[in-house]
Amino acid sequence: MGVLENAFEENVLTTKVDWLLNWAKLNSIWPMTFGLACCAIEMMAVGAAHHDIDRFGAGAFRATPRQADLMIVAGTVNFKMGERVKRLYDQMPSPKYVIAMGACATGGGPYYKYGYTVMKGVDRIIPVDVYIAGCPPRPEALLEGLMKLQDKIRRTAVIRKPAVTA
Amino acid sequence: MEFQAIVDRLRALEAPGIVSADEPRPANKAEKDPGRSGRPFLVIEPDKLVDFLRVCRDDERLAFEILIDLTASDPGADEPQLWILVELLSVRHRHRLALKALLPKENPTLPSATAVYRAAQWHERECMEMFGVTFEGHPDPRNILLPDDWVGHPLRKDYEFPTEYHGVSCE
Repeated sequence: MGVLENAFEENVLTTKVDWLLNWAKLNSIWPMTFGLACCAIEMMAVGAAHHDIDRFGAGAFRATPRQADLMIVAGTVNFKMGERVKRLYDQMPSPKYVIAMGACATGGGPYYKYGYTVMKGVDRIIPVDVYIAGCPPRPEALLEGLMKLQDKIRRTAVIRKPAVTA
Repeated sequence: MEFQAIVDRLRALEAPGIVSADEPRPANKAEKDPGRSGRPFLVIEPDKLVDFLRVCRDDERLAFEILIDLTASDPGADEPQLWILVELLSVRHRHRLALKALLPKENPTLPSATAVYRAAQWHERECMEMFGVTFEGHPDPRNILLPDDWVGHPLRKDYEFPTEYHGVSCE
């Protein structure tokens, strides 16, 4: 950690503010208890002992959007539900993240052509950070998506604005 | 009871509205009959469906306690009629009965069966939004699955898919 490293006595640790905040954020991504269809079953498997999403600090499924950092849109979003999803997203405190899990939440999935009430992707109403392919994705895929989200958080900076990429 | 015995019993009771009984039959090439598979059903006049159901429920030997299903079907865009399909079950006697009523597609109206079977409520609500059938006397005729302001009846063959809903594109 630069020139300050080992400049103090024991039990004093120097670091960067960005690193510390990101470390805290990415290891405590609390998702919302929220499932829409069969993908939610896989999400529950991720929460259970075998795959154990708690390893990533993301096992505290909150029953209210006001305590949640992450919305895992696990399942088919239809128009009637889409308005509720938007409202829940608006109630979450920033910084907030969205994972579109599975084919339906990403782009309508098998309902793309004849699903008259199905929204062709949840990104039409809320911004999505990570898309996960699969119908439904395997639990490992959701964990991979969560790690991708952690990578994304790791790259963010609080004080310094991130460089604009075209 | 078997299907034929049920029909005989209903005829003996003078159940209102019976048009015909339709049983599966093999194909007959000479008469250009494609045949029909599936189960036998009774064709009922739609106006008398509720009175007919009441007979089915109240008679001791029929005793259809449960309305398994009440739905509709659109046989094709060119067909002038909708099918109303009803399925009854008697747990006591272990028999079933399938009913069919033909309704015109123009302004289809049917008396509500909720007075006889309360289970018909949600079935009729779904039938209302999906096929545009009006059930007269339904206690709660709101949409059950679709949003309240949905336009059109999706399971009709002439249904046109929406292009947007509340500002979200459907394309």
